[in-house]
Amino acid sequence: MADEPIRSAADEPLNGEELTAEEQQVLQNVAAILRRIKFGTVVLVVQDGKVVQIEMAEKFRIR
Amino acid sequence: MLSVRDLGITRTRPDGERVAAFEGLSFDVGRGEFACLIGPSGCGKSSTLSVLAGLERPTTGSVLVDGAPVTGPGPDRALLFQEPALFPWLSARANVELALRLAGMSSEGHDDRASAWLVRMGIDRAADRQPHELSAGMRQRAALARALACDPKVLLGDEPFGALDALARERLQGVLQRERVERAGETTFVFATHNVREAVLLADRVFVMSSAPGRLLEEFRIDATRPRSLEDVLVSRVVSEIHDLLIRQVEGP
Repeated sequence: MADEPIRSAADEPLNGEELTAEEQQVLQNVAAILRRIKFGTVVLVVQDGKVVQIEMAEKFRIR
Repeated sequence: MLSVRDLGITRTRPDGERVAAFEGLSFDVGRGEFACLIGPSGCGKSSTLSVLAGLERPTTGSVLVDGAPVTGPGPDRALLFQEPALFPWLSARANVELALRLAGMSSEGHDDRASAWLVRMGIDRAADRQPHELSAGMRQRAALARALACDPKVLLGDEPFGALDALARERLQGVLQRERVERAGETTFVFATHNVREAVLLADRVFVMSSAPGRLLEEFRIDATRPRSLEDVLVSRVVSEIHDLLIRQVEGP
């Protein structure tokens, strides 16, 4: 699983390009969610080129 | 905080056979959270709600509200049924006022409080009508006003919108989404439904139950801004996941 490439809508990952402060903030927020959840979905809502909302749904298997 | 621990009900059929309606349910719902129980018909959702309301005693396990065990009905919990169960000889306003009196709330200001809740539910113009003069959606709004006016710690709903037409249902879902935001921290909501979209629109947490005897299969925690819409990407994705899970329950692996 870990070796499988991540399916991404991005044409190609940014390579060596410096992130803006705003981009870093978004990615830090996303990373905080990713550290917390094991299964789920994270959605970024973009308006006018800016991330205005980060939503998530986490799934727990109880069986 | 509502705590459910190892809850189960076993019933005896006329032929003496003992059948579990649901078993081993354990979950906590934090103060102010909105939780939905969802599962196939007969999985024990309504029976679970009955136990939470104190209308039925469990065979195993316990329910605690803020640490106090539930042993019977009480004013800390209000229950909405599919049929609004309003007193037919009383007006919408009088139904709310009676509930305030029965809940032991000070009689001073009953009229104002009842009126304020009827305004909040958008049925103030029909306040003096009796239930048979109201539409099904208005009757359920009156029942919701009656329940919330008493400031319950927990509002339980057993398919409360099941008998409504699509538009009335949608409007009441909107009202409840608003109440979830405005009463944040005051009232905990636990609803049973078989409508996946309704559960995902309303709930912070959706508990998916198996076919009978009902057990918890999966929990979905949904952190999305309100009001939610069925067109939201996250909502539609979670709806689809829960729907697939339920189909597998009904059809088998």
